[in-house]
Amino acid sequence: MQEAGMIAAYAELLAGKLGFDPALSRRVRQEVEDHLWEAVAAEPSEGHGKAIQRAISKFGNADAIANQFATLWLVEQMKKLGVTVMLVIGGVLVAMKARVAWYALSQWELDEDVRAVAWLVGAIDAYAFWLAVIVGFAGWAYLIVRRPAPTGVYAAHRNLQRVLLLSWISAAALIVSVTSDGVLTALRLAGSAVSAQFLIPMISMAVEIAGVGILVFIVRSVVVAMASTTALLKT
Amino acid sequence: MLKGHLDLIVLAALAAGPAHGYAIIEEIKRKSGQAFDLPEGTIYPALHRLEQAGFLSSRWTTAESGRKRRVYALTRPGRRALTERRAVWERFSDAIGGLLEGSPCKKPA
Repeated sequence: MQEAGMIAAYAELLAGKLGFDPALSRRVRQEVEDHLWEAVAAEPSEGHGKAIQRAISKFGNADAIANQFATLWLVEQMKKLGVTVMLVIGGVLVAMKARVAWYALSQWELDEDVRAVAWLVGAIDAYAFWLAVIVGFAGWAYLIVRRPAPTGVYAAHRNLQRVLLLSWISAAALIVSVTSDGVLTALRLAGSAVSAQFLIPMISMAVEIAGVGILVFIVRSVVVAMASTTALLKT
Repeated sequence: MLKGHLDLIVLAALAAGPAHGYAIIEEIKRKSGQAFDLPEGTIYPALHRLEQAGFLSSRWTTAESGRKRRVYALTRPGRRALTERRAVWERFSDAIGGLLEGSPCKKPA
């Protein structure tokens, strides 16, 4: 009974090191248990306990296996972040342009007394947005340069940390840009009576806020999950 | 040396049909005449990577023992990748063979 527990304990040990991806962790745990029991069954001549020990020993070091999975996960997260940043920037741009086109189409002018404030906020908006675009493209360029999969968890970890930093800068710039858009939209809506005309500005703002929210959520979830891969670096 | 060719080895082991991790390892050992005795656990990150690349598909089945078992199979891109990598390997092997034997290889590598 105690020997049988060795297989479960080994599978648990390996699965525990894959905490960065809970679904993968569950899957690997079941695969490892099945593999080890198969290996034990294939050695009927040996004693049960010896066969279990031999199967675990032949399976290899749990840290080394976890490192290989972690490397794959880190590379995947890098790609996911790069794609998310660019999609969100594209979404915010489309929403912004749609709103501005709607203002032009409906000849919706700003009140004279808020134009100075709107100009200042608009400048902040533009600079912040272009900062997000430039940093987003820098992230892409880094992804392309680092396209060949890193050979180890250390290199993959370092690369993802750099992409994360760029993603945070891009997300922060987008937050400033979307907040500025919100102020500009509020200035425009404040001077008008509530009507169906409000729909496009409201929807476009909702798209921008949702996009930035998704980006922040994904960046944060990668940071949280990276705690497990950081632990692997110390083993 | 094995590490750089693990993908080709795994794809080749699955060429005969779908199999689970342990069966793939056994197939590799059998076909290589026990020459490739790699740590068995290293097969799983390789299977995961190949699945992510679209070369393999996998599904859960239930083994006779009642345990859940993940079975892997080559996809169409996987078969194509195997054919391509096999051709590259054969050219490389011919070239090295030519060098070692001192006679020019048949095809340019």
